[in-house]
Amino acid sequence: MGKHGRRALVLLLAALSLFVIAACGDDDDSGDSGGGGDGGGKSGGSITISQTSQPDHLDPALTYTVNGIEPLWLVYTPLITYPHKPAPEGSELIPGLAEALPDVSEDGKTYKLKLREGLKYSDGSPVKASDFEHAIKRVLNLESGGSAFYLGIDGAQDYVDAGKCEGDIKGIVTDDKTGDITINLTEPDGSFSHVLGMWFAAPVPGDTPCKEMTEDPPPGVGAYMVTESVPNRQFVLEKNPNFPDLGADIPPAKIDKITTKIVKSAQRQTQDVISGELDYMQDPPPADLKPEVKAEYSDRYREQTAASTYYFFMNTRLPPFDDPKVREAVNLGVDKPALARIFAGELAPGCSFLPPGLPGYDEALDVKDCPAGDPNEPPDLEKASQMIKDAGVDGMEVTVYGNNDDPTDKVTEAYADMLNQMGFKATPKILDGGVYFQTIGSAKTKAQTGFLNWFQDFPHPKNFFFLVDGKSIQPTNSQNPGNVDDPDITKGIAELNLEPEITDEVAEQWAELNKDLVERNYIVPYGHRKLSTFFSERMDFENCSLFHPVYFNDYSSWCLK
Amino acid sequence: MATEPALEQTLQGPAAWEQEAEREHVHGVGPWRLGLRRLRRNKVAIAFGVLFVLLVLACLAAPLWADNVAKTTATENHLSDTITVDGEKVNVVALDGVPIGPQWFKADGKFFLGADPNGRDIMVRLLYGGRNSLMIGIAAALLTTVLSILFGVIAGYFRGWSDSIIRAGLDVVWSFPVVILGVALGVALALGGIKIGPIEVSGDSLLVPILIIGVVYVPYMARPIRGQVLSLREKEFVEASRAQGAGPIRIMFTEVVPNLTSTLLVFFTLLIANAILLEAALSFLGAGVRPPNASWGTMIDDGIDRIATAPHLTIVPGVMLVLTVLSLNVFGDGVRDALDPRAKVRLER
Repeated sequence: MGKHGRRALVLLLAALSLFVIAACGDDDDSGDSGGGGDGGGKSGGSITISQTSQPDHLDPALTYTVNGIEPLWLVYTPLITYPHKPAPEGSELIPGLAEALPDVSEDGKTYKLKLREGLKYSDGSPVKASDFEHAIKRVLNLESGGSAFYLGIDGAQDYVDAGKCEGDIKGIVTDDKTGDITINLTEPDGSFSHVLGMWFAAPVPGDTPCKEMTEDPPPGVGAYMVTESVPNRQFVLEKNPNFPDLGADIPPAKIDKITTKIVKSAQRQTQDVISGELDYMQDPPPADLKPEVKAEYSDRYREQTAASTYYFFMNTRLPPFDDPKVREAVNLGVDKPALARIFAGELAPGCSFLPPGLPGYDEALDVKDCPAGDPNEPPDLEKASQMIKDAGVDGMEVTVYGNNDDPTDKVTEAYADMLNQMGFKATPKILDGGVYFQTIGSAKTKAQTGFLNWFQDFPHPKNFFFLVDGKSIQPTNSQNPGNVDDPDITKGIAELNLEPEITDEVAEQWAELNKDLVERNYIVPYGHRKLSTFFSERMDFENCSLFHPVYFNDYSSWCLK
Repeated sequence: MATEPALEQTLQGPAAWEQEAEREHVHGVGPWRLGLRRLRRNKVAIAFGVLFVLLVLACLAAPLWADNVAKTTATENHLSDTITVDGEKVNVVALDGVPIGPQWFKADGKFFLGADPNGRDIMVRLLYGGRNSLMIGIAAALLTTVLSILFGVIAGYFRGWSDSIIRAGLDVVWSFPVVILGVALGVALALGGIKIGPIEVSGDSLLVPILIIGVVYVPYMARPIRGQVLSLREKEFVEASRAQGAGPIRIMFTEVVPNLTSTLLVFFTLLIANAILLEAALSFLGAGVRPPNASWGTMIDDGIDRIATAPHLTIVPGVMLVLTVLSLNVFGDGVRDALDPRAKVRLER
């Protein structure tokens, strides 16, 4: 580095120091307490938090990872949403920017909503009913990961085929004067209200271009607004001055400013939260620091089971997993408590595909009555090996797919070793996380078995069952790489998805379907992930740390002591 | 990290040795014997040479340790297992995921250096990982040497268009930083492997890092060889051979290449060290040795997340890496000094 470079660095450091001092000073300036939200608590102040990696996108049309969704659901409120409350209330749909929940026609194909009056984006511009259609257009035009959810809208496929951002989606009719929004579907979809509650469907200004906006996110209607975005370095959320009163269930923010820094090292993040340089880390502390965190900082550390399922897929169209007896043997032989140790205790062993918190979840099936045996006990390896011998596939070569995210790589290696103990000749194949799902989702790869997981997008069983729906099998980007195609299960999903409401009876039917899936051994579910909340000393952990059942840590509930 | 071999070599051959021997009045002693005498006088180089041999022997003995002492393999997981330490049963991996630390001989040699997060015996993986690191280093250095001789001799001897094409190709490879090129190739080849006609190499194979490292270092060796050949082809003994009717191929293999021997030998030792380092770097970055195989680079990568509470996971493979590279570098320097006729080493008569 030359002289000028060094000078520039010194100046940069000095500027950063001033910035940090100024940011710390904000704490003292703001002192008004009260504020709404879950537990009350002081409003104002600035905090700095961290993520290990940059969100995939800071654009509501595109983001599809926890890193992006956790902050952005507070920036972009959809027409309908979820109350900022813990489970189970937090999973119930409520009106967001719409006046009321949708009025659904008898045939289940038409949804009518009305936009609240006088809404403004964070930049002060008015929200129009047509902005909803524009948001859906962006999702479809940009080929977002969420586009599949909206292809059921009449004319959505034609819009995609035309490839023009300014085109029209026949099935969405809006009236900016009255605020009326009508959505027509090609066929009824019982989960569509939840689809409308996803961040993808949150209105954005009609002039937002059909391109990725990560570096300059569009304004939204939410407790926060994104005021700065420097990819791979940091992004800043500030309290939205134009946030309307949407009721007690959608409260305004308490903290004025949240700076999210991208810090690769989980070690450093943990140390910084302990020392107070960071106020929250999105990822859990690394395994070797967790015992210390749990022991010494239990007053500001917590773990909650998220609505998620970790499982291995087995390709039912390829040997040896085309044999149901082999799939049963693998389910018997997988050591679930051993896998939980790799997650450093952040995995609740279980064998239900539907996770806790979802309608249809059966705790007995998950643990006590698990067909493969108690998931908290060692497996019946002897029986599994014998079944594999009887099936005549012992010694067969098996490639186990996984990606290089921590701890997926270790889980994949452990699973391969378990298959070896059962009698296979298994080799792990660890791919880069960026290409993993496309690779195993391609029929050409002929992936035999491997790692998969799913966190709910919305609290409806369909959001899990589409992963084992015969209709989800695609030659590329298949969400069902195990090619699970059971006629009973596929028919059951289609029938139950027609139900407009999940009554107790409907939930019971989903539970039966879940039981069928588990008993037929199409997949190897082994547990549900726990997520952590770890705060700095100055955060009010006791009163202001809502863990939302759908969107996890709710930044708008946070406050300083 | 030093990733490039020392390039400024004194490129001399047997002819020069004879000249040197004459200058130092050591008549009747062959050039190789002369070099060996000089090397034996360099006690430090010999000591590090012996250290390298010991490291190689230790790694070659990996199956002996695994079968007879650790009683496990390099890839076997022991997540739910317990071992008896001082009469008490201890989890290899605790419920909160923390693996057992070094046990030395408290558990009859099992988990001598502790376990990794998958409950695998670190000592066993260290030895097997060393075999992989050394094998990749030596094989890649061999590949680099063969390719460098081929390209360097052809370019230097024929000159003209063949020289231009080869030089341009080498410049293209040279223009990329070694690690970046290695990572790019490693990531690309890990998925699909290598398919050239009937030759098919799986992306998980150790051949992939060997080929990558072997290729990226070619310009660093081929260019000096080309320069040396350009000089040698004008020497009298080459002209004499040509005058006697020898063809280019014959001249290259009987006159030119033998005169490159000392250069190649010195380069080779230094290349092994650099190849081992590059392998470690690529494996650390996830573009080298693929799981479940281990190498010192992958072990450092595996241990880096636990450096606060289990520093040995990173330090032990790191120390092995340092010792190996240091021993090869010091020994390589010794060989260079011994074979370099301009070295100011007094000869014994």
